[in-house]
Amino acid sequence: MSANSNPYIPVPTQISRIINEVDTNDIKTFRLTFLNKEDEKNFQYLPGQFAELSIYGKGESPIGIASSPTEPGYVEFTVQRAGTVLPGLVTAALHDMDEGGKIGLRGPLGHPWPIEFLQNKNIVVVGGGFAFTTLRSLINYMLYPENRGRFGEITVIYGARTPGLLLYKDELATWEKRNDIKTVITVDKGDEDWKGRQGFVPAVCKEEAPSPHNTVAVICGPPIMIKFTLPVFFELGFSKENILTSLEMRMKCGIGKCGRCNVGYKYVCSDGPVFSLAELDELPRDF
Amino acid sequence: MLKKTAIDKISELASRMMEQGTLIAPVKEDGYFHFRDIADVKAVDLNYHNTVTSPKSVFFPPVEDFIHYETGKSILDAVTVELNVKPTFLFGVRPCDVRSFQIMDIHFSGTGSVDPYWQKRREATVIFGYAFYLDEPAQAEEFYSTLGIGAADPEGSDIFMIRKENDLLLKSMTSKGEKILDRLSVHDAATPEDEKYFEEYIHRGRQTRTRFTCIEKSNIAKKLEDLFHNNDFWMKISSACLSCGVCTFLCPNCYCFDICDETLFGKGTRRRVWDACMFTDFTLEASGHNPRTQVYQRLRQKINHKYSYHVRKYDTISCVGCGRCTRHCPVNIDIFSIVEDAMKA
Repeated sequence: MSANSNPYIPVPTQISRIINEVDTNDIKTFRLTFLNKEDEKNFQYLPGQFAELSIYGKGESPIGIASSPTEPGYVEFTVQRAGTVLPGLVTAALHDMDEGGKIGLRGPLGHPWPIEFLQNKNIVVVGGGFAFTTLRSLINYMLYPENRGRFGEITVIYGARTPGLLLYKDELATWEKRNDIKTVITVDKGDEDWKGRQGFVPAVCKEEAPSPHNTVAVICGPPIMIKFTLPVFFELGFSKENILTSLEMRMKCGIGKCGRCNVGYKYVCSDGPVFSLAELDELPRDF
Repeated sequence: MLKKTAIDKISELASRMMEQGTLIAPVKEDGYFHFRDIADVKAVDLNYHNTVTSPKSVFFPPVEDFIHYETGKSILDAVTVELNVKPTFLFGVRPCDVRSFQIMDIHFSGTGSVDPYWQKRREATVIFGYAFYLDEPAQAEEFYSTLGIGAADPEGSDIFMIRKENDLLLKSMTSKGEKILDRLSVHDAATPEDEKYFEEYIHRGRQTRTRFTCIEKSNIAKKLEDLFHNNDFWMKISSACLSCGVCTFLCPNCYCFDICDETLFGKGTRRRVWDACMFTDFTLEASGHNPRTQVYQRLRQKINHKYSYHVRKYDTISCVGCGRCTRHCPVNIDIFSIVEDAMKA
């Protein structure tokens, strides 16, 4: 049985680059390059999808893809070392690895952000803290020169608790300099070096007040941020069909077979992880 | 074509099958019946009502090895476990259990990604369905008629078998079954009376009375959706539940599994093992968040999965009324009563 015909068998990759993203040292971006050209060719993905990172002896972890398919030759994953509550075996092992280390990769899995639906619309991307990874993929995808014309105005509102917890700092700086994307970065509490904005994401969204006209909001963040941000967008006049988010649940197979990540009749892995609020409204509150 | 063999000669039939592949049939162990790989033809025993464990493990074994690895070695040294599937004869499966295979097919190989393990084993296996003995009443826990399954329902079998006094009548229902039945060639010719008996038996099987309640699939799916947030209902029905999971392991239609790495002295295997939505860590996330910490939430998940989510997703109820979950529940939780109560609620 070849790996291609068996969705449970990971393909081998090498860690070609590791970036320490935050000053707490528990979030790193891993750049993976495929060891077999064939596997790279088969890994056709779009922003919003995820994959299972696989370390034999530890297990697998489902992680959103942080790179954009417009950057060929590698795939990136931004991974938090889990373990404040439970020992995160895979993420801990991954964090202990060096560049050159080899791990398995299984995917791409799940449905991407609905690119066709987003086309010719203004896009407001709202992210909080660590939940910015597949949003970064989407932003880089839209900013790609050949893609930029397919989308209207792009606004990014991204917040973290402290300046040191912002992900992709170099990239944020380049976006801020561009005139084809509006970038609003905020932190809950700045430090002496912080010259940017201070304030919670919901409050900043309210101040920025993006127009709902022909606009889709793509929102990912911790539950508390989502809870207070959604009313802001409803007040601005966004419909539930035009607010998208991405769910997380415990997953194993990633292909809708193992039965554990369901919310109502939908499997988050194979029917999601991307859902509109209108779709979520039809499901029971079981997540 | 209908064929016939004497019941006391089934060991001859079994030998023929074993010459051509693996035979899996009911065997009596410590007073209880289970489907087992047959090594000795004398072990095949058709004097049973139904097996304790369901035959799903023939296609979906409790443990399935995916990959062998060694810790400290490169991922490139890991070896994918080859799936060697031999022609298999699954002999003596009751109609409700045969139906469960068709329901599992939709999930494992009929939609989305194909599970190669389920699919390859299914393709290599010939199903010998076996009608319930109609002169015996259905057991108290069974409710397959509620779900539209007859006691002598040949649907889904490659070869269907009916007992006629001291004979076994065998009829091929699919082209796969026909080829096999021709090759087995240990039978006496069936008479026109046998033909008539066979057809009438299937018909009579439809009138067998099991527990019955009127359920229409989209109706119950909707009822359960409406009941989802009725915590009183779910607390009441789950108050005795121990979360032991025996119902899910015995269920012919429960398919939840875990994928885990087991390492001993540097050598390990990535394998899938049966898992159960009745266990609290089934949905426990690395962050510590768990959407189903309470027993009532987990039993609600199980009932909804079978009678609501599965209907919405695959247009079929994921239960065949075999009664195993009720029969073996240590605290007598009865899925039929829960569904009945839900219909009335």
